[in-house]
Amino acid sequence: MSGEKKWRYAFFLGCVAPNRYPMIESSIRAVFDHLGAEILEMEGASCCPAPGVFRAFHIPTWLVIAARNLTIAEDLGVDVITGCNGCYGTLRDAWYELLHEPELKKMVNEHLAKVGRKFKGSIEPKHIVQALYQDMGLDYVKGFVKHKFKDLKVAVHYGCHILKPSDKRPWGGDYENPRFLDEIVEITGAKSIDYKDKFMCCGAGGAVRTAVKEVAADFSREKLVNIRDSGADIIIDCCPFCHLQLDLGQMEANNYYKDIIGEQFKVPVIYLTQLLGLSFGIDPNELGLIKNHELSGVSPFIPIDPFIEKIKEELL
Amino acid sequence: MSDNVEKYIKRKVYKKENSRIAQKFVDAGLEKIRSCINCGTCTGSCPSGRRTAYRTRSAIRKALTGDESVLQDIDIWLCTTCYYCYERCPRNIPVTDMIIKLRNIAVEEGFILDNHFTLANDIFYETGHGVPANGEGNKKWRDLRESYGLPPLPPTVHTHPEALKECQELMKSVGFRDLMDNVAEKKKQERAEQEKEEVKEK
Amino acid sequence: MTEIQKEIKVRAKDRPQIGVYVCHCGINIAGVVDVVKLKDYALSLPDVVLAREYKFMCSDNGQKMIKDDIEAGLINRVVVAACSPRMHEPTFRLTCKEAGLNQFLFEQANIREHATWVNMQDPEGAYDIAKDHIRMAVAKSRKLIPLQVQKVKVEPSCLIIGAGIAGMNSALDLADEGYKVYLVERSPTIGGHMAQLDKTFPTMDCSACILTPRMVDVARKKNIEIMSYSEVVDVSGYVGNFEVTIMKKPHYVDQEKCTACGACVESCPVTCGNEFDLGMGTRKAIYIPFPQAVPGQYTIDMDKCIKCGICARIDVCEPEAIKYDDKPEYVKVNVGTIIVATGWDLYDPTELVQYGYGRFPNVITGLQMERLLSSFGPVLGKPVRPSDGKAPHTIAFLQCVGSRNFREGGNTYCSRVCCMYATKQARQYKEKHPEAEVYIFYMDIRAFGKGYEEFYESAAENYGIKYIRGRIAEVYGGENDSIIIRAEDTLLQTPIEIEVDMFVLSCGLEARADSDKVSSLLSIQRSADGFFMEAHPKLKPVDTLTDGIFVAGVAQGPKDIPDTVAQAKGAASSAAALMAQGEVEIEPYYSVVIEHLCSGCRSCQSLCPFGAIDFDEFKKIAVVNPALCKGCGTCVSACPSGAMVQNHFANFQLDSIINVALKQPTVENGGK
Repeated sequence: MSGEKKWRYAFFLGCVAPNRYPMIESSIRAVFDHLGAEILEMEGASCCPAPGVFRAFHIPTWLVIAARNLTIAEDLGVDVITGCNGCYGTLRDAWYELLHEPELKKMVNEHLAKVGRKFKGSIEPKHIVQALYQDMGLDYVKGFVKHKFKDLKVAVHYGCHILKPSDKRPWGGDYENPRFLDEIVEITGAKSIDYKDKFMCCGAGGAVRTAVKEVAADFSREKLVNIRDSGADIIIDCCPFCHLQLDLGQMEANNYYKDIIGEQFKVPVIYLTQLLGLSFGIDPNELGLIKNHELSGVSPFIPIDPFIEKIKEELL
Repeated sequence: MSDNVEKYIKRKVYKKENSRIAQKFVDAGLEKIRSCINCGTCTGSCPSGRRTAYRTRSAIRKALTGDESVLQDIDIWLCTTCYYCYERCPRNIPVTDMIIKLRNIAVEEGFILDNHFTLANDIFYETGHGVPANGEGNKKWRDLRESYGLPPLPPTVHTHPEALKECQELMKSVGFRDLMDNVAEKKKQERAEQEKEEVKEK
Repeated sequence: MTEIQKEIKVRAKDRPQIGVYVCHCGINIAGVVDVVKLKDYALSLPDVVLAREYKFMCSDNGQKMIKDDIEAGLINRVVVAACSPRMHEPTFRLTCKEAGLNQFLFEQANIREHATWVNMQDPEGAYDIAKDHIRMAVAKSRKLIPLQVQKVKVEPSCLIIGAGIAGMNSALDLADEGYKVYLVERSPTIGGHMAQLDKTFPTMDCSACILTPRMVDVARKKNIEIMSYSEVVDVSGYVGNFEVTIMKKPHYVDQEKCTACGACVESCPVTCGNEFDLGMGTRKAIYIPFPQAVPGQYTIDMDKCIKCGICARIDVCEPEAIKYDDKPEYVKVNVGTIIVATGWDLYDPTELVQYGYGRFPNVITGLQMERLLSSFGPVLGKPVRPSDGKAPHTIAFLQCVGSRNFREGGNTYCSRVCCMYATKQARQYKEKHPEAEVYIFYMDIRAFGKGYEEFYESAAENYGIKYIRGRIAEVYGGENDSIIIRAEDTLLQTPIEIEVDMFVLSCGLEARADSDKVSSLLSIQRSADGFFMEAHPKLKPVDTLTDGIFVAGVAQGPKDIPDTVAQAKGAASSAAALMAQGEVEIEPYYSVVIEHLCSGCRSCQSLCPFGAIDFDEFKKIAVVNPALCKGCGTCVSACPSGAMVQNHFANFQLDSIINVALKQPTVENGGK
């Protein structure tokens, strides 16, 4: 294909996806390429920084570093996408605050000037889900579906910061009971099943995971009980940090709370673009679904084989 | 002295003081905290409060009324910033942002968990990532990246030392470096005092 | 001395002798600015012959100062620098009038609302602004012209919009005083929301038992004309002489022929939700809303009717009253006064997704609960769960639903009735099911009325209703369609979860969804909460800012039944007081045409929003009807030849204000 692609995005990686769950990074790259979107690298980007962690330590630092990341995309002249709710929270909230509060913008730009940068507000930070659902549209994305997973029951986990604070999000203020992610999941033929407290937090955010792992794991335990009760085959999420908490945290919950959970949890956790990619017919290797290494103690911690088994027939 | 004196006499009558913390909220432009009607929507919405001693409303109330013990309370670090309280507050108080601000004030006063301090001071400041992949201990993650056809390190600060320097310069400029140094100093003093007390008791 | 003396003749060309009176208004003004300095400043202005300051100019002593100066011949124009003219302009005008000075030679400078109140933190700034206001008032005062008040006849009849408990009470009082009343009601029956209630707090008397006799009274009164199933579609005219067009909607049943036998209802094959029962009960497509409806008139709901023709069959309707081709009818009436008693809508809790209304069958509103509790309601007063028709064992009420909510879509105010109606409903349920568990989740219990606190105390003590202080955060569905509630018990500082069989949302009252239409139809204002605005919150609680139009009941703001009735009687009394005078004064602010300048282009005529301008075909000039003119000034700015002058706000008067506002005048430059 020649000429400019219809959609061009600067890809903000963040930390957890590239450094702990690289299969998420590679599946996003594969799916966006497949959909005809061009991905530009944000060379020299840093941690977003995490909204509940570094922002909780020092708000001005959070804002300045976030603004620096945004300027990298501004230099590329395209909107930012990120596959992480946390990064999205930071980039979008910082962007929103800087657009609406001239005093803050002035303060931030005074610091940025020292490294030769300036926040202009010329581009919009978006979640990959936002890019899929709003920029490309469901009908467009649907056109790429090759395989339909008829018997797959999915527990969709939105996470918090893709929805909230709702006044700074593009979903028309809907945070109690949105459907957009379920709609994307369901174009693959999978069924998004309702479960108790579906919109509850995974437990990792707000520096809680770093503070007390047991507390984070108790959130996950509650979610996983509800998901297990619903009969879901897998969890689909759209945030690497939730992903880590629901995957690694699942092991931790199995450990800390083995006395009260009965049977051990073993629900495969799959990232949205991994599922989408499969239904598009993209090679599972490119989506990070096939293990081809002998490393131990690496992600995913909960085996995803049951998922692969379940859908293998549909792929053939 | 009778044991019962120690057991029953508490003399905990709250003496009203002007809150230094409340003033910090106001200084940060968050006067809305004063309009709280203590309806409990925030605490009732809080998934953390259902399993921990963290009470959103009570933390805000303490901040507002000048009970500074809230700063040392580990509970304020058990909010996952899920934003339900923010969304549902009938007085439109940005509750989650208040908790974030409260944590900022706590850190300023030197109250930060060791884990958090290490994360901020040793990891974030030094690598530019909250979860890094460089360094000896993280080799397996680089190998994992390669196994999926990705370069061992992402095109972030990890592969751009000049960008990391830029981040550090900004962090110095905005006061993060000083903040961390002050916190380290306060922590050191605290530890020294604790040790002194322990020696005394012995 | 109240007898009006012969008026002192002041002609426009007489040299103005202005007296300026600076009011302290206690400390409201004097606490912020130096009133003595202001007085001295006033003295420096052109044509000011004397200036005084006093603690309260509106007091008898203050007014006497002005009168004495006028009567002593010291002054022929008066400027009072005090509060808003909305507050005391009438007071000081009367003062002038009583002293024999034409009342339109009075001018008020608002140095309280415009200067000292808004600039309490900045006394110097406040002083400068006060000076500006005094300078402008004096400048206008120099240019004032004596005007004469016009009087118009008042039609001794009243239009009342809305026939709930407010409208009915106003109607009865006015009818008893001998005035003709047109009582217009949108729905097929009078009675309003009160007809939907079972019992009333705190006395627990049966709502229907006290309401229906009133409804019958209204129907019996000779000089009340009930126009039910009708809507006001146009209002023109002015105080004393409103011309109102009312649309009578078609009932599709000939009221003359119908004997109300009810055979049509039995034969109608269409069953749908009854609005009166808020979906808790059903009705047919041909119906009367409830058995005691007045008038007891059948109506076909054409949105639901399938036009099967059964009801029109001669074996069903012997008198042949069914009239499928019924058409709306338009009626015009002339009235002297109007009372707006349009009532309220219940807050719709659907958008508060976290409370589960519309998602879970056993989450209902307080008004739905009222229908379930009603002894002539859909379940004859034995409340059951919508999901399974069984009596709930555990019920939770949540207060302030949609109220005291500063979020978008919420109402910021307290609705004043919900604490008591929930307590009442809880008590009623406990009377029927003493073993039941009933919780009321509240933020503050507001039991302010006569007997209310005692009612609340008894609910807790004698009925064992459990009050939990905390606003419910969210609910989720449990087994058997139960509702699980999450909240904080704020007094225990602990999160709680309670499973209940039924969850009642004590929704607040809000302004009618079409209040904006009524507001523009009648040219009356609404306050920020959406309800119609009274002319003054304390002193004119039933008047609107449009003369001759009054407001009663919840249309003005949430209130309980006693307050509603009191206000309705107040509105009737105010309307009667106006009509009893037989004629009413109209402020002479209308426009006048300078005949030799008018070119007869008719620009003004087409632009006048009040239809106040006629065209004299003989002289070929515009003619203003003073009674219709509202003094808006549109014609003045539209007139290309400068032939339109608006009394009291003439261009030369406004210019004088603008000129001194833009530059500091002094005695030396003659105020120019």
